Parts: sequence; structure tokens; C-alpha cells
Amino acid sequence: MISVTNLIKSANGTRILRGVSFDVPARTVLGVIGASGSGKTTLLRCLNGLERMNEGRIECGEVQLDAALSKSEYARRVTQLRHKVGTVFQHLYLFPHLTVLGNIIEAPTHVRQVARPEAEREALQLLESVGLKEKARRYPETLSGGEQQRVAIARALAMHPEILMFDEPTSALDPRRTASLRSLLRGFVEKGHTMVVVSHSMTFLEGLADRLLYMEGGEVVEFGDANEVLNSPRDPRTKDFLEQAR
Amino acid sequence: MLSCAPRTEHLVSQLYDCRLNAAMLTPARNNRVQFAPMLSPSAFILRTAVLMALLIGAANVYAQQSLRWGADPSGGAPYVFNDPKHPDQYIGYEKEMVDALASAMGRQAEFVPSDWETLVSALQRKSFDVIVNGLEPTADRQKQIQFSKPYYIFQLALTVRKDDERIHSLADCQNRVVGTLGNTAASRLLEKEGISFKEYAEPLTAYNDLELGRIDAVIMDVPAEVYYASKKPKLKRACDPFFHGTYNIGLRQGDDELKRQVDTAVDQIINDGTLEKILRKWNLWNDAQLELQASKAKPEPQTSDTAYDVTSATFNWREAIWRLTRAAVVTVLIAFGSMFIALVLGLPLAIGQWKGPRVVQWLCTIYVEFFRGTPVLVQLLFLYFGLPTIGLAMPGWLTALIGLGLNYAAYESQVYRAALEAIPRGQWEASYLLGMSPLLAFRRIILPQAFRIAVPPMTNDFVSLFKDTSTAFAISVWELATAYRELANASGQFLMLGVAVSLYYLAMSLPMAHLARRLERKLQRREAIEAVESEVV
Repeated sequence: MISVTNLIKSANGTRILRGVSFDVPARTVLGVIGASGSGKTTLLRCLNGLERMNEGRIECGEVQLDAALSKSEYARRVTQLRHKVGTVFQHLYLFPHLTVLGNIIEAPTHVRQVARPEAEREALQLLESVGLKEKARRYPETLSGGEQQRVAIARALAMHPEILMFDEPTSALDPRRTASLRSLLRGFVEKGHTMVVVSHSMTFLEGLADRLLYMEGGEVVEFGDANEVLNSPRDPRTKDFLEQAR
Repeated sequence: MLSCAPRTEHLVSQLYDCRLNAAMLTPARNNRVQFAPMLSPSAFILRTAVLMALLIGAANVYAQQSLRWGADPSGGAPYVFNDPKHPDQYIGYEKEMVDALASAMGRQAEFVPSDWETLVSALQRKSFDVIVNGLEPTADRQKQIQFSKPYYIFQLALTVRKDDERIHSLADCQNRVVGTLGNTAASRLLEKEGISFKEYAEPLTAYNDLELGRIDAVIMDVPAEVYYASKKPKLKRACDPFFHGTYNIGLRQGDDELKRQVDTAVDQIINDGTLEKILRKWNLWNDAQLELQASKAKPEPQTSDTAYDVTSATFNWREAIWRLTRAAVVTVLIAFGSMFIALVLGLPLAIGQWKGPRVVQWLCTIYVEFFRGTPVLVQLLFLYFGLPTIGLAMPGWLTALIGLGLNYAAYESQVYRAALEAIPRGQWEASYLLGMSPLLAFRRIILPQAFRIAVPPMTNDFVSLFKDTSTAFAISVWELATAYRELANASGQFLMLGVAVSLYYLAMSLPMAHLARRLERKLQRREAIEAVESEVV
């Protein structure tokens, strides 16, 4: 479903990603771990088209991005890509001037051109699935951090993406909510989604990720089956990181 | 009696003519003339240009039936001024004289209140057809306009305080401070004699300063002196009136046919005694005037009972308030009209300066800095007197509306830009990731949030715009500040009228502030949240 080959990204003369390659099969979860500044967020921004890579190839939900493409063709494909990928940011970026319901139906009604009653009906179902149906008419700033995150998830799901990407989803959650978020996300895999979850929390990714990618200094240090990486890391740097994280 | 009403009708008739003309010019569909809502700035500018062209055309047609004359009614007694008994109407000996002239010419006199300093420019830009305002044919004026035959011979009166024994002639004024009006025979005489003087805009303020001892003497044309100084107990004439000058009617160069008609009419009212009757009524008749009469046949002398006694007139507050109310309506219309222009034009300016190509950014910055960096008064004078020289003459109210609109657009653009820049980049990115185009993201996500941020400073600007409409008095727009100046000069009621005018401004700006606060609250959705929460509980 996702395949990345030799991805290189520079900004202001510094290489942030130095040849990253990996692949994610459909209906699996890739966990991306690494310390701050390791390049994991930039990797995510390249995958969803917010940043243009300098070299390499990305294949994501049948859309192929290549660093060699012309600017307009790259932009055209990024537009296609965005219909397949939903992203939930660390800072969520909910629309503060719209209600919870308004946040969710905004893109379906104006991008997918779904009729408003239909969009609302679906949005209420989504809210029910994340346990927020009764807060549909509230404004985001009146909700708790965990509730806001679930609104952001529902907003992304409303566009029917095949792939979901999360950037540091646990940064604002207490342990109990972390566990419930994990089971919510795991449920999405059962429904057929493929996911990329960037996090520095090993405890969160344990039992959620099928595969793990450990990054350091813009390079892939270790990539493989989650259990193998967690229990018998091959690279001493991974081992160090895991020990510190626990 | 001429009042503001015919002016309003005139305006309406101009607009009406425009609509008819517009209907004739455009192949009207369904035989219906429609004023389409303003869709885009370019369409608006086009419409405005067409409207202006039509207004000029309509004004020229109208000029054939009426004699439009310009004068400064502010402090203009006894020439032309607001009747203290009926502040809604203008009176004065020149007012009566022009009525007589017009009827001799078979026309309808129409008074266009204007500003003394800009009378000649306003005549040239065709705001009216003739100047009748105690104007002397000086050499510098004769370079710009032409003059009719004289209709009045005036002298100058030197006024001092009653207890002053130092000044008995103009020569005694050396090394003293003399007050007079700017650009008059008196000011030029003082200049020639090398006597230092202080220029005033109104006779009343000059005589007040003399009474208060701020200056030592006032020199003024006898008609003004008769009205403003002769009844003041603390003042006296220092000597008999002196000097010999004439008042003539000012006309545009090239209006030779009109000049011929005016000259004939002047002869007629002098010779048939009409003018003498008017002058006697206003206490302005003296034997010097006989010089102008071709035949020396003297009409019946008039008794002084019938003379108009200006000092005993009581001020009619009811009419004054009614007049202020109408001026306030003009103020409101200008304020709302120009704010609309500012709000509409401010957005493209803000976007151009913020995200446009380099050239556009550059142009928008020049626009903003020009309009912010120069006084709005200068901009209005430029639009009103400068543009007609390249063939673009708008009426005063439209000039004020557009001028203030252009000026405030510069300010609003900066409010918008700051608000737009305050929206986090993440809001754009979140929109893009949901598949929105930049335009859709801007319209649905960024703009509504920026608007919330922009409302408080926008309100602030609007309140200040309300007050800035007062600059329109410089281009003779009859708004609240002009009304105050005129009425207060006619009645001397600076204090009470000032309070009344301030109340009017407050009555206009306070509801604005209140509405804005409500809008802010609504945008912040406090009420909505409370309502929902009470529902939940």
C-alpha cells in the first residue's frame, strides 16, 4: 500500500532525510519511532505531500510521486494522494470557527460535494463511533484535549481515506486515554485502513504497530516486524533507544 | 426663500436624470433599469465613472434653467447667511439681489453653499455658474475668471475698542496687530502698508478677539462691519469709512453670453431701484452707490423701520435642530458609503500585499503608504479640485464618499493583512490535507477566522471614519461639521450648538460601537455556547 524508495529531503542546505526506504502492506500499522529531530515528522510530511522530496520515489495508495516530476504534475498527483490519505496532526488544527459537526462535514460537502443532510448523517455516525455524538453542536475549544483529538480523527475519516497518518497522537493524553486511543486505532485496521503512526512513545506503539521503523539523524536505523525490533533489535543504537524509553 | 430642500431635489433630479440616461444608453432588457449590486471593485469603478460622467452631463443641462450661484454662507452676514429665525433658510442682501437678478434674466436662482477660500476653483470646476459673495475684481482673480459690472461700491471700516484712544487712522495701526479676513481688499491694503495683521476665516471671530483684547483693531468691508460690529457696545469706529472698491459678479472665462445677460440684469436692477430697495432694507445704502446709477432718478427714501435689524433676531432652535438632523443624515450616508468601499477594496489590497507577485505587492504597498502617509484633507482637496483639470468632476458628496473610502481602504487592508497573517499555518495545512484547494481553504477556513480577529480594529476605524467625514466641509459638502460652522456663525451659539452637534456624533458612533460589541460576542459564540450548555444541563 505504501512504498518509499531512497527518499532524500533537504531544507536550508541541511539533509533532514538521507535516503529512507521502507514499505507498508495494506491493513497494517507502521510505527515510526525516534528521538526529536530524527526526521520522523518530516517523513510524514513528505508522505502526505506537504513537503516535496528532493530525491526518491513514494508510492502511496496507487499514487506515485517521483522527485523528478515537473512541479505541476507533482501538485496534480499530490491532490490525488490527498483523497486517499487522512492526517491527524499533533496540534490537531481543528477549525475554531466551526462546530464539531461543521469541522467534520466541511470537506465532504465542499470537496466531495456530498449533500449536507447526507454528510451530517455520516458525520453523526462517525462521532458516535468515537463516542462524541452528544457534542456535535459544541465548538472545539469547549472540549477536552482527548475529545478534540477524536474530532480530528472523525474529520479525517469523513473523507474516506484508505490510509491514516498520525503525528504524535499521545502527546496530550493521560495513560488511560492512551490505551483507549490504541484500541480505537486498532479497530480502524479491522475496518480496512492502513496506518502510519509517528510517536516517541514505545508503550503506545507496542501492541498497535505491526512493523516498526527506528530513525536517527534522518536515516533508517532499523526496520522490521514490531516484535522482532522490540525484543531483539539488531542495531546497538536501537537497543540504546529502547532501553532509555523503558 | 432658498433653502436646502431645492438642493436635495437637485441632487435627486440629477440622479433621476442619470437613471434615464443610463436607460437610454444601455439597450434595456425587459424595459427595466436595474442598479445591479456592486460585484467587483473594477465593476464598481466603471460604474462610478459612468455615474460621474452622467452627473456632469445632467448638471450642465440643469444649468440652462437655473442660475447657480456660489458663496460662503458661514459667517457671511449680511451677504448671505443662515436666517437665525429660520436656520433652514438662507438670507442676506446678496441673496435677495441674486433673486432679483435671476428673475430679470428669466431664470431660477439656486444657491450653492461653498467655502470662501475655494470659491474661484469651485467656479472653474463648474460647481456653480457665478460667484456672488462681495467679490472684488482683483488682478490675480482676473487672470483666472472674468467679472461682471460692479453692483456695489464698498468702503472699509476700521474698528477698535471703545476705550482705545491710540488708533484714529490706518496709519496709527503701525506696530499693532490688526485682524481681517484672508484674501480681501482689507488684507491687501494692510500688506501694502506694511502693517502686521492676523487673518480670520469669519468676521465674528475677528471682532470677538478684538473685544477680548487679543488684537488691537479690525478692518473689514463696511457691510460686514455694519452687521457684526456696529451693535457691539464695546466697539467703535476709529474713523470714517475709507477706501473705494467694487463688488462684482465672478464668471468663468468664456461664459461671455452669460456675462452679457448678467450685465444687462445688473443694469436693470440698479436703474429700476430694485437694488436700492434691497440695500436700504439691509442698512447698506449710501450715496456712494449713486455712482453706479446711469439715471439719477431717486426712488422714495425708505424709513429705517422697515430696515432689517439683524441683531434683534432670535435663534430658532427647532429649525436649527431639523437642519442639523439633515446634515447628520448626510454624514451617516458618507460614512457608510465610504466604509463599504474601504471594506471591499481593503481585501484585494491586503491579499495583494500579502501573497501577490512582487509587482503587485509593490503597487499595493505604494497605495497603502500614499493614503496613510498624506492627510485625508489634502486627498479630498486633490480629488475635488485637482481631478476636474483632467476632466473628472464629481459632486462634493461623491468625492467625499470615494475619497474617504480610498483612504480608509489603506487602513482596512492593514487590519485584514494582520488578521490573515495571525492565522496559524497549520490551518492552511489541515485544509489542504482534507483535499481543499487554496481558494476554498482561504474562503471557508482562513477568511472567517481572520474576520473575527479583524472586527475590533475595524469598528475602531469606523468610529474614526464617522468623525473624519467632517473633513468634507473643505469641499463644501453639507455635513454635520459644516452645518455647525454655518449655524454657529450665524447665531453666535457656538457653545449650545457645539453640544448639540457632539450629541449627534455620539448618537451615531455609540450604536456603532454597541453593534460591533454584539457582533464580536456573536463571533466568539459565547451566547451560542451558553445556550447549548443550558440545553445539555
